[in-house]
Amino acid sequence: MKFVDEFRDAELGRAVAAEILAAVEPGRHYKIMEVCGGHTHSIYKYGVDDLLPANVELVHGPGCPVCVIPMGRVDDGISLAHQPGVIFTCFGDMMRVPGSSQSLLDAKAQGADIRIVYSPLDALRIAKQNPGREVVFFAIGFETTAPSTALTLRRAKAESVANFSVMCSHVTIVPPLRALLESPDLRLDGFIGPGHVATIVGARPFQFLPDQYSKPVAISGFEPLDLLQSVLMVLRQLAEGRAEVENQYARVVPWEGNLRALEIMSEVFALRPHFEWRGLGFISQSALRISDAYAEWDAEERFSVPGVRVADPKACQCGEVLKGVIKPWECKVFGTACTPERPIGTCMVSPEGACAAYYNYGRFAREREVA
Amino acid sequence: MSACLAAYGCITCGDEAISMQVLRVDCTRGLALCCDPAGERCSVEIALVEPVAPGEMLLVHAGTALGREAPGTPLGREAPGTALGREAPGTALTREAPN
Repeated sequence: MKFVDEFRDAELGRAVAAEILAAVEPGRHYKIMEVCGGHTHSIYKYGVDDLLPANVELVHGPGCPVCVIPMGRVDDGISLAHQPGVIFTCFGDMMRVPGSSQSLLDAKAQGADIRIVYSPLDALRIAKQNPGREVVFFAIGFETTAPSTALTLRRAKAESVANFSVMCSHVTIVPPLRALLESPDLRLDGFIGPGHVATIVGARPFQFLPDQYSKPVAISGFEPLDLLQSVLMVLRQLAEGRAEVENQYARVVPWEGNLRALEIMSEVFALRPHFEWRGLGFISQSALRISDAYAEWDAEERFSVPGVRVADPKACQCGEVLKGVIKPWECKVFGTACTPERPIGTCMVSPEGACAAYYNYGRFAREREVA
Repeated sequence: MSACLAAYGCITCGDEAISMQVLRVDCTRGLALCCDPAGERCSVEIALVEPVAPGEMLLVHAGTALGREAPGTPLGREAPGTALGREAPGTALTREAPN
C-alpha cells in the first residue's frame, strides 16, 4: 500500500533502533512524551517501544480527544440527546464514554435518538433529511477535527439549514502542553509532536517548547518508522545540546500549516476563556466555541444545557495517566474493573486512549516497563 | 467508510487520519471520490485542499481532506533541507534510499 508499506520496513526499523541505541548516554534516563493519542496507539500496535533501549521511556500525553472530555460535558450531551424531537449525532467513540449516571449508549438503549456519524457532514445530511427534527452534532477533537466542523457549519449557513446545531467541545493542543510543563510532578526531556494537528496548525506553534522550555520536538508521522525516526531526532538534539522543532512528517506537514483551514476556523470559532480538561482541570483559552457569526447554529445557545461540573470516579486515575505521571497498568482498576468493554475512565474507551492501547495490545505486565 | 476500521483504530474519533488517493473530482459540489489503502471508496470534502487532481494522495480525517501527502519514503529523499534532509549520509535513514 502506497505510503504505508514502506514505513513498516522491519529491517530498516531495526537499523534505526541501532542508531537510537548509539545515540543514548548509558546511565541517563530519557522521558519523551508522545503528545498524540494516535501515536500511543501506533506505538503499542507495532511494538515500537520494544525496539527502544530500556532507558528511553515514552510518556503518553493528553492528545486523545475522547479521553480529555470531562464527565460533566458528557452529561450535557446526554441531556441534549434526551430532549424531545432531537436527533443527537456523534463520533463512535463518544458512545461508550461514561457520564455520571449513564453513557450515550445507555441513553440510546433508553430510546434517545442517537446516531453515530463518520463526519459532521453526515450529521448535516441527516438534518436535511429530517426537516421536522432538531439535529445536534457533538463536536469533539483537536485542531485536526475542528476544520471539518467549521466547513459543516459554513455549509449549514450557506444552505440555511435551520434545524442543525453543534455542541462544540473542540480543544486546542498548545495550552495543555504548557500546563503539563508547568506541572511540578512531571519531568520531560522532549516531545514527539502531533503530526495530524500540525497538518492544520503547522510546526510553528510548537516553537515555544524549545524557545521557552528548552525542549526538543520532532513533529511525527504515525507509521512505525516515522515514530522511530522521531525518537532518534529528539535523542540527537539532546545529545548535541540542541532544542529545536524538527519536522519528521514533512511529507504532510507544512511549516505554516493549512492556511485555508486556519482562516475558516477563525471565522467559525472563537476561543473559550477557559475549559475543563479531564485530569488537568481548567485551562485558559484551551477550547473553541461557536463564533457570534454562527451563534444560530450553536446548540448551547439553542437548548438549555445543564453545564454541571462532575468529579471523576475516585477509583479512576485517568488524570494521572493523561499527565504521564503514572502508566496505565499502575491504575488501581486497570484491566480489572475498567476494561474496554466496561470502561470506568475515558482513557479505556478510545483506541487512542493510553489505557485501551495498553490493554488491547497486551501490555499488562509491569515487567515490560521495568525491564 | 461508515464504520471503524480496526487497522487504523477508530477513524470516527480524534486524530486518526489516513492517506487516500483521488479517483474523481466533483468541483461543483467540492467533493472528490477517494480510495483508501484497503480499496474502500468514499466521497471526501476537498474545500481545504482545492484544487486537486485524480491520482493525488490526500490526508483525510472525518470525511475532510486536511492536506496533501507528498511523494516520499521513510529514507529521507523527499525532504532535502528539512529535518529528514539533515540526516547525515550513511545513516540508516539515507543510505538505503533508492533513487
